[in-house]
Amino acid sequence: MIEVADLHRWFGSVHAVRGVGFSIPDGQAVGLLGPNGAGKTTTLRMLTGILRPQQGSISVAGVDALRHPVQSQRQFGYLPESAPSYPEMAVRSFLRYRAGVLGVPVRRRRNRVLAVLAECQLTDVSRRRIGQLSKGYRQRVALAAALLHDPKVLILDEPTNGLDPTQIREARSLIGDLAQNRTVLVSSHILPEIERTCQRVIIIGTGRVLADGTPEELCRNIGSGGCIAEVRGHLAAIEFAINQALPECKLETAPLEEGWWHCTIRPAPKTDPEAPDPLQLTGVALAAAKCPIRLLRPETVGLEDVFVRVLDEAARSTGGDA
Amino acid sequence: MSSIFNLAKRELSSLFRTPVGWIVLALFLFLTGTVFVFGALAPGHPATLRPIFGTMTLMLVLVAPAISMRLFSEEFRTGTYELLASSPITSAQIVLGKYLGALAFLIVMLLPTLIHAGVLFLVSEPNPDPGPIAAGYLSLFLFGCLCLALGTLASTLTDSQTLAFLGTMLTLICWVLITNIAPQHVEPEIGSKLAAASYSIRIDDFARGTIDTRHVVFFLSISAGLLAFATTALESRRWR
Repeated sequence: MIEVADLHRWFGSVHAVRGVGFSIPDGQAVGLLGPNGAGKTTTLRMLTGILRPQQGSISVAGVDALRHPVQSQRQFGYLPESAPSYPEMAVRSFLRYRAGVLGVPVRRRRNRVLAVLAECQLTDVSRRRIGQLSKGYRQRVALAAALLHDPKVLILDEPTNGLDPTQIREARSLIGDLAQNRTVLVSSHILPEIERTCQRVIIIGTGRVLADGTPEELCRNIGSGGCIAEVRGHLAAIEFAINQALPECKLETAPLEEGWWHCTIRPAPKTDPEAPDPLQLTGVALAAAKCPIRLLRPETVGLEDVFVRVLDEAARSTGGDA
Repeated sequence: MSSIFNLAKRELSSLFRTPVGWIVLALFLFLTGTVFVFGALAPGHPATLRPIFGTMTLMLVLVAPAISMRLFSEEFRTGTYELLASSPITSAQIVLGKYLGALAFLIVMLLPTLIHAGVLFLVSEPNPDPGPIAAGYLSLFLFGCLCLALGTLASTLTDSQTLAFLGTMLTLICWVLITNIAPQHVEPEIGSKLAAASYSIRIDDFARGTIDTRHVVFFLSISAGLLAFATTALESRRWR
């Protein structure tokens, strides 16, 4: 549904987007995750035709967005970052106006406006001026405007930006509903938002795609590789055994009841892919040291850990200058 | 076409939703009415609307920039331009839609002044010559087209309404100075070329009741050129 390849964008001497590429199949909800200034909004602006890339290709629903921008723009609905609208207009008038601009045929316009009002739960405020509405409602109005031409693709830039927790929950639920029968690309730097609404995550940092996969895949592949153990014995003996088995590992210990210790073991990044599993090495070392083990499992990481790790890794590899 | 109409409709209605539109309209009608009462209706004065056309032309130099200053600058400032730029319409359609909306406001502003012509026909004996009145309105419309096109271009270049307003107004004033006063102080060859670019000389011809197609083409072609520049300026934002 969306094909992006080798996108590049400079702003003066700043190389903001450096070869971003991804492919989103029909019906998938994808989160574009990245810190502020990572290039998310620039990437979305290029996708939507607001900005032209200096290099690369974009195709939306099979239409080349660079050669046929207008046809491509018919395929998606776009919610910009600040959910802009005209505060002096009534909700219904604004939607009627947007329907006209989006090319909804006159005979369908009324029905489409009523449909999106209902879909975004705006019917009660349809006659009120947008400027009088709360931020949450204004966000919904902007979202409703993006749905008027019943697009196959929905592109949302920071859809919960500036909302309070209740409004965030409502917006998330609404986006979840919309994602049922559409291809959705959501950009955000709020991890739980992406984790709950998207099947797939693309992490962008310093203008590049740093990771791409389902949250589970990312957690598994980019996880710590570390392990958690609950062991009984002298702390010095436990530390010695683990450090012998996994040199340069990061070991954190916390006392539990009756001489038991909770150990978090994070080995140094693997340089040799054939190196034995740290979990196994830890188990063997502790058993050899005759320390009873009541729990030994891989450390599970969340998307937040993955996010931080991927960005740290990128900063290290670029010398932290990006 | 429907998109252009929608843009024009919103632009026209937005001018009536904000104080700017009403203030401009009220001020324009008040001043033209005052000039009409004390200029055209004064006993002993000839039955002509020429003084009003002169005043309205001068006022357009102020009023047109006020109408056009917000066309794009406001959209850039509030971020609503992103909605337009991501819509399935071309930059040329956006420019045309907004320009036509502003032009519709100009027509709405000029329409009530037809009452002055009606009153003049009622109270004057003999009746005034309709030719110069029709030509006068045509000149106002054409000059309005040019001013609004220039204002549209200025508005595409900045997100500050004040800058767009001042830029348009000062350009119109400089234009008069360069094409009307400068020719008297330069070589005759250059002077005649500069004078050929004068809009005020052409407006004077209209006021005398002369409808010269060259003048009509002058105003329309320059307006079209300015709109083409505005489209280019808007399109260039996608590359900036």
